[in-house]
Amino acid sequence: MKQKDIQKEDNILFVGIDLGTSRSSISASNSKREWIESYVGWPKDFISQQVIGKLVLFGSEALNNRLSVDLCRPLERGVIKEGIEKSEDAVKEIIKHLIELAKPESAQKIYAVVGVPADTLKINKLAIRKAVSECVHSLMVVTEPFAVAYGMNLLNNSLVIDIGAGTTDFCIMHGTIPSEEDQKTIFNAGDYVDEQLYSYLSERYPNSRFNRNMVRQFKEQYSFVREVSDEIHVEIPVDGKPVMHDIKNEVRRACESIMPALIETTTEMIARFDPEFQVKIKNNIVLAGGGSLIRGIREYLQDALKEYGPCNVSCVQDPLFAGSDGALKLAQDMPPKYWEPL
Amino acid sequence: MISILLRKRELKVREAIIRGVYEENLKIIGKYNGIISKERSFSLKKMFLTFVISVAAIFMHVNYLSPSSFFPENQVTANIIIQRPVTLPVDPDNPSDYRTFISNQKVPLSRMFGLGVRTIMIDPGHGGADTGTMGKMGTKEKDITLDIAKRLRDRLKKYGHYNVLMTREQDMTIPLNKRVELAGLSKADLFISVHLNYLPSKPINIIETYYFGPPSDAKTLKLAEQENAGSQYGLSDFKEMIEKIGETLKLQESKEFAASIQKNLFLNIKKETGYAYDFGIKRAPFVVLLGVDVPAVLAEVSCLSNREEEMKLNTESHRENVAHYLEAGILDYLNKGETRNEAKRHTERR
Ligand SMILES: Nc1ncnc2c1ncn2[C@@H]1O[C@H](COP(=O)(O)OP(=O)(O)O)[C@@H](O)[C@H]1O
Ligand SMILES: [Mg+2]
Ligand SMILES: [Zn+2]
Repeated sequence: MKQKDIQKEDNILFVGIDLGTSRSSISASNSKREWIESYVGWPKDFISQQVIGKLVLFGSEALNNRLSVDLCRPLERGVIKEGIEKSEDAVKEIIKHLIELAKPESAQKIYAVVGVPADTLKINKLAIRKAVSECVHSLMVVTEPFAVAYGMNLLNNSLVIDIGAGTTDFCIMHGTIPSEEDQKTIFNAGDYVDEQLYSYLSERYPNSRFNRNMVRQFKEQYSFVREVSDEIHVEIPVDGKPVMHDIKNEVRRACESIMPALIETTTEMIARFDPEFQVKIKNNIVLAGGGSLIRGIREYLQDALKEYGPCNVSCVQDPLFAGSDGALKLAQDMPPKYWEPL
Repeated sequence: MISILLRKRELKVREAIIRGVYEENLKIIGKYNGIISKERSFSLKKMFLTFVISVAAIFMHVNYLSPSSFFPENQVTANIIIQRPVTLPVDPDNPSDYRTFISNQKVPLSRMFGLGVRTIMIDPGHGGADTGTMGKMGTKEKDITLDIAKRLRDRLKKYGHYNVLMTREQDMTIPLNKRVELAGLSKADLFISVHLNYLPSKPINIIETYYFGPPSDAKTLKLAEQENAGSQYGLSDFKEMIEKIGETLKLQESKEFAASIQKNLFLNIKKETGYAYDFGIKRAPFVVLLGVDVPAVLAEVSCLSNREEEMKLNTESHRENVAHYLEAGILDYLNKGETRNEAKRHTERR
């Protein structure tokens, strides 16, 4: 029986969810695709609740009201903080909200595949399942880079490097579901770049007033490694007046600061395999996650790895949805007998 | 046709992966008890399909290889080519590393091993959960490599003066870096890993050999050639340089070992089967990280994607032949070392 027929018969909505440290997205079988920033805010007190008019805020809305809400970024360092109920609640809220955004029909059953950072799955398997299971009828949890790999049909001889906010996740695919050995997580990722950029800018412009949020926005707008021709100037207030600042050198240094660890981990992971396999993986490296948007990062990595022979690095088309699209594909490919009621 | 075969393979992989996801999730909630079967019912329909596909594959294959059918029928027993230096068939379209290397007069400054070789470690590629590549008839790389390795071991043992070890004698999983580490721990003087290639897009048989070692450092090599190089450098530079020269020598040994294996494999297999492509020797990517300190090579002795090769590999006589060629490659390398040492001693005495 075709998956489509089942869908009609039982009225099932398949969803793929990418539960990220900074952004989470959903792709559904009704063609809806939505994303939010992975922030959850609960109004701090009754008055805030009256002012805001909601019981819970998400993403940028939560961030914008950060003074009057209890803010939570549940997977901050790629891991649910153990024992903190708030984080589990936040995961629950994010999932619930994402599913609402996918607009299921009221009678529809929801079958979900959720991709989470590799370390989260390693440490908080059960907690994640618990947090998600309230909002869905049946559920599979997988690691995020694996979902990306599956979605891109990179089932064999490939390496996916997912450069997110809190973590960079590596996942080698060799025709089976990746084991813990095939996956590795490092903390050199988007947040790390932000920290570096923040400290470089503080050093160079001690009198200018900027915060981490602004710094992240500078990065997302101008990020690059090696060389780009454009000048990079941004407006930062000094003594209350907006002043243009040249930040090109700092942006480059901050973005390049994650490269050594990236290159080292890549070679280390590939080196465990036989040379013939190494050659194949090296020609099939895919960058995903927000960090893959750094200009020149593909070429940088490729050139660094070329020292030992030919190599091909590419980037996913749509880093925001690559994970949730892959998770959705997995959900739709899953035989009906594997979907167990919760 | 090939693309249908590939798609079938891919579907299988996909099924296995999906089942893996399901089982992992059962494990998370503590429901998994490992009973989920591999639902392998070999239905008649399936068998028929396999047959049809096989016939078609053979048909395609013969078509593709028609130019090589000018070669005489395969010989059952191989006449091994051992005597050197054979005039190598020159194929201008396919220059290989090792020919240039062999004709290169620059010999390593010293031979680190040569006469001293006592322990040879043979590494049958893959094993256990890692099956390696698989032929269309289901032949697994891990089984063939183990069998060839055992035959090679028995052949080398007959000489009586080699201590021959294996990284595995059974069907078990060991990652590559562990294997090389094992070679170091057991103080092996030579390390040879046996593998089979897979090239789905080309129905040919290719032979290639990888050698292990640190990246060759052109600067260091140049420095080594300058007699008074040391004087311009500080002590620490000098120390580092000496280390690097040592590494470079190791690399050259591995390269020469690889050349010897490749030459013996290729010429003999070409002679035996009438067709084979020489892909030469290559430095294995990244092995710099593996800390190899003995001459180490990895030989792709055959190509499992090639149907004829797969059938041959399933015969004892062919596996024995391959072991024989590897043996010849090893001895060739060791003898060359001796001859060269011999020559060196002569010139030194004068
Ligand atoms: N254009 C860009 N250049 C560099 N970094 C970016 C860009 N766009 C987004 N990012 C960074 O990517 C990270 C978010 O990536 P994402 O894959 O969504 O992470 P996660 O999966 O951890 O939620 C953040 O650190 C963000 O600042
Ligand atoms: Mg992500
Ligand atoms: Zn192999």
